[in-house]
Amino acid sequence: MASGSLISRAKFLGLMAAGGVLGYGGVLVGQRSIEGWRENTVEVPTPKFDPTAYRLTIDGLCEQPFTLTYDDLRGLPAVTQVSDFHCVEGWTVPDVKWQGVRLQQIIDRAKPSKDARYITFHSMGGIYRDSLALQQAQLPDALLAYDMDDARLPQDRGAPLRVVMPRMFGYKGAKWLRRIEFRDDQDIGYWEDRGWRVDAWIKA
Amino acid sequence: MARAAEFVRRFEVPTRLAHWALAVPFLLLLLTGLTNYLPRLKALAIGGFRVFAWAHVLLGFAMVVIAVLVVLSLLRSRSMRGDAEVLAAFGDDDVRWLEHEAMALAGQRTATPRVGKFNAGQKINAAISALATIGLLGTGVILGINTFSKSVFTVGITGMTFSWHTLLALATIPVVLGHVYLAALNPATRESLRGITRGFVRRDWAMRHHPDWTTHASEHELPPEHR
Repeated sequence: MASGSLISRAKFLGLMAAGGVLGYGGVLVGQRSIEGWRENTVEVPTPKFDPTAYRLTIDGLCEQPFTLTYDDLRGLPAVTQVSDFHCVEGWTVPDVKWQGVRLQQIIDRAKPSKDARYITFHSMGGIYRDSLALQQAQLPDALLAYDMDDARLPQDRGAPLRVVMPRMFGYKGAKWLRRIEFRDDQDIGYWEDRGWRVDAWIKA
Repeated sequence: MARAAEFVRRFEVPTRLAHWALAVPFLLLLLTGLTNYLPRLKALAIGGFRVFAWAHVLLGFAMVVIAVLVVLSLLRSRSMRGDAEVLAAFGDDDVRWLEHEAMALAGQRTATPRVGKFNAGQKINAAISALATIGLLGTGVILGINTFSKSVFTVGITGMTFSWHTLLALATIPVVLGHVYLAALNPATRESLRGITRGFVRRDWAMRHHPDWTTHASEHELPPEHR
């Protein structure tokens, strides 16, 4: 090399610039990813939600089955809760601000029959299902969320509506909810069928 | 017809074996791990098992075994220990080499410093790679155990471990890209690739890039076809 350098100056400059770009990109990706969401879905493509056509069906073993439009949902008394999200894979998103409707409120309106001891949550894609015992769904932190961090729930986070059970692993939180079904038996959910526990309580 | 003097022996079999035994699973682990950011690939499953997630966990445990074997073979192989010792020795000449490269970047020509078997950049690459690997394996073992049982660690521990594992993995990406670029693509330096695949490099290249080592490497063996 003319300069006596092991690699030419232009190349070194190029390398440093490339390194800088990569480093900067790395920081940007890093900030979002180290304590961020990692989308898990088994419904491909991600279910699309049309606010005018959307209906949430509440049925099964209950006295008053009913449906809600998206506007109906947002018109119900809303609650806000801040909770950490723990994925069964090991990652955590701290302090997620959820807004939505208490499951208790839906249960009260549907008036489940005596035989109803479990609830199955159905996803719009028709593939993902999960279930809770009725008593679990009546816990004071069991939520149907339509907003996250002061914004509409993003498509890949489960728009228009998802289950939030802060003290259970995230796979209990069915996304893209279209149907809430009261049953006398506990439905084995998608991941439970593949080995995860039906009661996904977190070791705190 | 190549003359015998055209090549010098650069890496013996143990060093080359150790390099690839670590590099191949490292790259596979990086690629399978990155599916965390590619939901559709991540969801790919056979018989209810997510292909990339399980490949990552199993490869990770395999790499723990490989890393232990490499460390043990350091005790057995004198040539590999020699390479490791030179890589770990960072001296005034290495500082000068970094200065020289930085000055070249700034347009200043300075005298070429002494360079032995490894320059400062190669030493830094080795140090970062080794430390990141140790950190990734340490955090990876915790996350791997967590894959099989949720009752060993709390979500506080796994959450923190996951963050460090991610941070370390992302930090290695520019290092790996730089290493692959310089070793396989950059015309001025890519001759070094043959050193770690077949064990020898061209003598004229070695004289330019590792002069102090090359002048002491006259006794090194020749590639088989030149013997």
